[in-house]
Amino acid sequence: MSALSGRIAFVTGGCGGIGRAICTRFAREGAQVVAADLAPWPDAPEAVRVIAHDVTSEAAAVAAMEGIARQWGRLDILVNAAGIEIEKTVEETTLEEWNRIFAINVTGMFLSAKHALPLMRKAVTAERTASIINFGSYDGFIADPGLAAYCATKGAVHALTRAMACDHGPEGIRVNAICPGYVDTPMLQSFFTGEGSGGGGKTIDQLQQAVREVHPIRRYGTPEDVANLVTWLASDEARYASGQLWVLDGGLTAQVQQMRL
Amino acid sequence: MRLAGKRAVVTGGRQGIGRAIVEAFLSEGAAVLTCGRGAAADDLPHGARWIRADVSDPADAARLIAAAGAPDILVNNAGVQIEKTVTDSTDADWEQVIGTNCRGVFNCCRAAIPVMPRGGSIINIGSISGHVADPSMALYNASKAFVHGLTRSIAVDHGPKLRCNAICPGWIETGMLEAGLALASDPARARQDALARHPVRRFGRPQDVAALAVWLASDEAGFATGQLFTLDGGLTAASPLQPGLS
Repeated sequence: MSALSGRIAFVTGGCGGIGRAICTRFAREGAQVVAADLAPWPDAPEAVRVIAHDVTSEAAAVAAMEGIARQWGRLDILVNAAGIEIEKTVEETTLEEWNRIFAINVTGMFLSAKHALPLMRKAVTAERTASIINFGSYDGFIADPGLAAYCATKGAVHALTRAMACDHGPEGIRVNAICPGYVDTPMLQSFFTGEGSGGGGKTIDQLQQAVREVHPIRRYGTPEDVANLVTWLASDEARYASGQLWVLDGGLTAQVQQMRL
Repeated sequence: MRLAGKRAVVTGGRQGIGRAIVEAFLSEGAAVLTCGRGAAADDLPHGARWIRADVSDPADAARLIAAAGAPDILVNNAGVQIEKTVTDSTDADWEQVIGTNCRGVFNCCRAAIPVMPRGGSIINIGSISGHVADPSMALYNASKAFVHGLTRSIAVDHGPKLRCNAICPGWIETGMLEAGLALASDPARARQDALARHPVRRFGRPQDVAALAVWLASDEAGFATGQLFTLDGGLTAASPLQPGLS
């Protein structure tokens, strides 16, 4: 018996680095998956249907849920993985950029959840809960330099996660956030090559090695590491887990900043 | 069989959360050694080994780890609680709570870390009470904050060879929960009130905690270390002030 046998899952950002790993694993565990993303995924697994989806559009959220209602009549799992980052301080960030990152990282989550909740209620039985998994970040707890608006959106995600857990727990819907640290994705590579990394004259390879060395586990996370935890949180094994922020960062934030002593 | 071929030590496996972890580890294929201060329970799960050991005693902790060989997994579950404020607590209370909950975890970790193989996983049972205070549980609350601090330290000092995480349960249906409710002036009403304060509207079961312990012990959790994972049905996600319940 696979962990997600027969479950219906909706994954925003499902064609991104982490999103693909989640959708692939969900499909392997027996779920039917809708990967909603602006980006394509030509060779997606058979159990993954890719739909072109803008998370900032309420009409898109309504249409996506109508499609799921028609085909399956319920939704067991919602993963809100869509997100962007902007490598700027507050002063450098334009109002347009600020509004755009909040629209995708926070409002998108609100819209998906708002229109998914009625379908998720239909998935709840005496034996089975429904599960919402939001993408927060360790940056919702502590700050990376030059990522001001991104950090602020992740703080909002964490607060929204707790609030939704309180409101919808009595209906059998669990809500958690997963807070990855450094995960090897295109977004991370972009961070290393961008101005936000504060490279200090190091090559990208030197910078990456230095970052690995600061992790107690001496490596970055992989998208599969993240998918492992998302799968657990979506499964019946996690039926008592709700309202929590699950940090998965190789021990990075278990320590104080590493002084050059 | 997510723990096939792994050797595990689970302290305090006689009852409650510890017993559920022993059963879950066995069903996932691990060889399990557990311990307690008395003789083995008559209904010890089939396949589990038991030795008499008091983890607050360094010699007993060393004997426990030696008996396991080189364990891949160590779960520090043994713990006691005493329902008292600071001013009511005696020196004997201190010895008992700090001895088992703090020194016991330290003793077992100190004995196990040098012999655990690369890729090993230590799982400490912390508590939501290490983050927020339960009334009249002063030493217990403080002991769990110690467990949380030690958890992070081990992850930082002994990674990447080992991973170390804590599970912070909330209200789990065990003898310890019943003891807490029994302190109330009206235990039945206290139970209803406590349930209403949990977003998922139930208490946890030992099996819920065991499911997370299995995940953290398994290779699926290869990037998880240094973290305190709360499993409390949403209790601590909500404000302590609930006007509807007051």
